[in-house]
Amino acid sequence: MDIKDITFSYDRKINRLDRVNGEIKKGEITTIIGPNGCGKSTLLGVMSNNYLPQRGKIVLDGKEMVKYKPKELARKLAVVHQQNVAPADMTVERLTSYGRLPYKKMFSTLTTQDEEAIEWALKSTNLQGKRQATIDTLSGGEKQRVWIAMTLAQSTEFLFLDEPTTYLDIYYQYEILALIKRLNRKHGLSIVMVLHDINQAIQYSDTIIVMKDGDIVAKGKPEEVITKKLLYDIYGIHVIVKNDEQTGLYIVPVGI
Amino acid sequence: MNKKIISFSTVIVLLVLIIIYSANTGSIKVSFVELIQGLITGNNEQVQVIKDLRLPRLVIALFAGAALSVSGVLLQAVMKNPLADPGIIGVTSGAGFVSILMVSLFPTLFFYMPLFSFIGGAFAFYLVYTFSWKAGLNPLRMILVGVAINAVFTGLSQVFNFRGSYTVTSVNPVTTSTLFMKNWNDVEVMVVYGSIGLVLAFLLYSWCNYLGLEDKTAKNLGININRIRFIVSVVAVLLASIATAIAGMFAFIGLLIPHIGRLLVGNDHKLLIPFSALTGAMLTLTADTLGRVIIAPNEIPASILLAVIGGPFLIYLLRKSDRIYGY
Repeated sequence: MDIKDITFSYDRKINRLDRVNGEIKKGEITTIIGPNGCGKSTLLGVMSNNYLPQRGKIVLDGKEMVKYKPKELARKLAVVHQQNVAPADMTVERLTSYGRLPYKKMFSTLTTQDEEAIEWALKSTNLQGKRQATIDTLSGGEKQRVWIAMTLAQSTEFLFLDEPTTYLDIYYQYEILALIKRLNRKHGLSIVMVLHDINQAIQYSDTIIVMKDGDIVAKGKPEEVITKKLLYDIYGIHVIVKNDEQTGLYIVPVGI
Repeated sequence: MNKKIISFSTVIVLLVLIIIYSANTGSIKVSFVELIQGLITGNNEQVQVIKDLRLPRLVIALFAGAALSVSGVLLQAVMKNPLADPGIIGVTSGAGFVSILMVSLFPTLFFYMPLFSFIGGAFAFYLVYTFSWKAGLNPLRMILVGVAINAVFTGLSQVFNFRGSYTVTSVNPVTTSTLFMKNWNDVEVMVVYGSIGLVLAFLLYSWCNYLGLEDKTAKNLGININRIRFIVSVVAVLLASIATAIAGMFAFIGLLIPHIGRLLVGNDHKLLIPFSALTGAMLTLTADTLGRVIIAPNEIPASILLAVIGGPFLIYLLRKSDRIYGY
């Protein structure tokens, strides 16, 4: 996926993204980090066709994103949004089955292939025991897993996640991250996500994209990108960057 | 699951009972068997009177109740707002006003009243939708705009009713909800358009369910959410305006019935739409029948009774359950 010269503004006055260029490699976990308001969620929105850029284009598999039909795109790319709503009395299985909509016509019923995809999605997210549970009875981590299950049922190559760990406690955060890693390593999904926690980004990403003020300022492997100077430039915080054999690379913020 | 089956069975039984009771009750009394015989053979004079006066309003009450309730369900889905109701947001008053206006100006076009009604309802809905859209639909803003639009159209209709004094009431049947003096022509229009609207609504149940997702989520599933919203809105306006054109204005039922439905059969529109249609039909006919009986030979309009019975019932249901719209 190529990001070519993207300019985007919500109000046509202030550019939230200003001539952004970049590339997302297939088969990798790419994480976008940056301070609040730097445009990371906006970029993810443009890359998933939720926002139409004023300039520039996104090219997916050699074809411009805007030229895809809605369902065709939904078979290639799935998105887990930061906030999600569904009727409280909907069951896990039902919501997961919505992931098959890109493959269905209006009155068609589920095919064996649909059922297999749903089954796989429930199994991958470890929700098989909860299939008849309604959404309002689930914990925060389970809810997030249901939304991931729905996108998995879409059987796409690309999975985008906007701050998938926000609002979750630390156990569920790592549960979700481990799931994402498994999906990438075992099933070959290309992942693009926005994260706030720098250590999680280091730990789980193949490539980190660092954004500030509507532009990409650094991109590369975590070890190359994450430095004391960069983090001070971006966030205005002093950090100690450590690398030991047991934990790998990590940072400890020490103050502003 | 059991609760849903019980709810459906109860409503169907009540509906049948009230239809039988309503057909039998009034100043002329015949037994149900006599009524059926009379309708088939056509040589019982009393039954002929019932056929001409009582049965049309019975059928219209059923269809108008069903249509307004389902219209409420659809509008609530489109606007993602548990308070949306064709009465509250001005669809029915818009429909009512345009029908009165056109019928007053061009009395010969009386038979096109359902069409005018639809145009008025659609126009009111369009106004509410456009004025409350500001980077998305804010539920509170939508209700406030709806109340304002409703006030304007209600006021405009009052102008026609008043016209210097309240004695001129030739167009009154359009603005009030008494089902008095309905004939088989009215029934025909109500049943034809009402059935079309109801069948369309049943067919659109899965679309209504998708409207429960965030717009972004729906879009990423390849759903054309704006087209769905438009089509569901058109059906909702059709149902509300046809009921208004034939039966007059029933406030409240489009709000009350869907809530009862959500509490009893859940938010899945596959069940909610048929359940609301049945319950709306049952309750409206009950209100109309009681209205005929309580202070006979005078009448209390069905809409007034609906509000009086329905309000406390809704509060009771809401107190019993903390789940209002499912979010």
